Amino acid sequence: MSDQKPLELILARNLLSSISTPAFLVGQEGALLFYNEAAGALVGRRFEETGTMTAQEWTAAFGPFDDNEQPIPYDENKLTKSLREGRPAHGNFRICVAGNVHQDIAASAIPIVGPDGSSGAIVIFWPLPEDEETKAAAGVTEQSEVL
Amino acid sequence: MRIKIWGARGSVPAPGPETMHYGGNTSCVEVTLSDGSTLILDAGTGIRNLGLALPRVERPIHILLTHLHLDHIQGLMFFAPLFRPESEIIVWGPASPEASLRERVGRYISAPLAPVEVRELPSHVSFKEAEPLEWDLGPARIRAQSVNHRGPTLGYRIDDGDTTLCYIPDHEPGLGAPLSQLEDDWISGFGLARGASTLIHDCQYTDAEYPNHLGWGHSPIADALEFGQRVEAEKLVLFHHDPLHSDDFLDGLCGDIHARWQELGRDPGQVELATERRELEISPQAAPVGA
Repeated sequence: MSDQKPLELILARNLLSSISTPAFLVGQEGALLFYNEAAGALVGRRFEETGTMTAQEWTAAFGPFDDNEQPIPYDENKLTKSLREGRPAHGNFRICVAGNVHQDIAASAIPIVGPDGSSGAIVIFWPLPEDEETKAAAGVTEQSEVL
Repeated sequence: MRIKIWGARGSVPAPGPETMHYGGNTSCVEVTLSDGSTLILDAGTGIRNLGLALPRVERPIHILLTHLHLDHIQGLMFFAPLFRPESEIIVWGPASPEASLRERVGRYISAPLAPVEVRELPSHVSFKEAEPLEWDLGPARIRAQSVNHRGPTLGYRIDDGDTTLCYIPDHEPGLGAPLSQLEDDWISGFGLARGASTLIHDCQYTDAEYPNHLGWGHSPIADALEFGQRVEAEKLVLFHHDPLHSDDFLDGLCGDIHARWQELGRDPGQVELATERRELEISPQAAPVGA
């Protein structure tokens, strides 16, 4: 019998599809289960084009990248480590966006914990301004920071 | 498997001459399994008449609550077997991190809302959280699963031999995204209802009414039909009628519902509006009793 996703993931996807803030829905093992139109516009590919992606697939395609422009493995991402402990997290990252250019973003991740335990996470993100003065004025830092 | 509908109204009882046909009692469905044992789905006001009609038997009575909104538990305190010392009654319902099922039902069966407390009931009553769970009751395999409504809410799937009944009386699967845009496994209740011989499903609103009730946890006709078609239910029984919908109003919807079910490639004879006291034999053909 074909089953369905946990209800909390279904409701999370419905929420993300209804907002204009770029957002990913990540499941257990880091699979990218869904991203909304705003996220699709930022990364230059609609979810309908990519479908579900494994952690390895989406980190290779979208990042995040380290200072040497190398993809950061999903298991080594600070957000991943925090989410696996059931805690929300926030950090700044460099990702690949539309036009195959790199873009600095801030990302906040919220764990989704259902009656059976952790189901995944919502990751919302937004581009950071490019010039340093504007960054300082916006109060953002270069370093990832776990809440 | 056989069912009898003892209450098909949603939200609040709606008795009166204008609801005589479809009935004014709230959610309650009697299920008779292949070995003759009885399950009861929800304890709306319809369960009062069911309790009066049930023969005294030594078997335990299982009541499966989808959730604890008043229209699904209001009749419980007036269920005659609760007041018989020889009765054994097992109440199943959704878990909540806030309090046990017994405590939450006890808020209704207690002062000042009731003259008795659960502990004073002369029958043997027990409570079991059913989420997420599969278990056997007699010849049937029961599966409970959370579905999209307001607050912790379950749908139930009952497999008995080669027949399946699925009961999702309060459900808004199309909230947030049109069903047509969702893959099957992203639809609330899909796995529960897939391939059911008979699906009893929420259809509280017309399509015109629905925009004013988004997020209230109920389905418009369009979503109820599309859900039934997507899960390939053999027969669809539209349930949880709005208390404002009179017999004349519901009769007026029937032609449109049959036509739209047919447009979805289905047999228009296999969709109907739930009617109080209606009995159905649940078989792959879902032939109505006496038809």
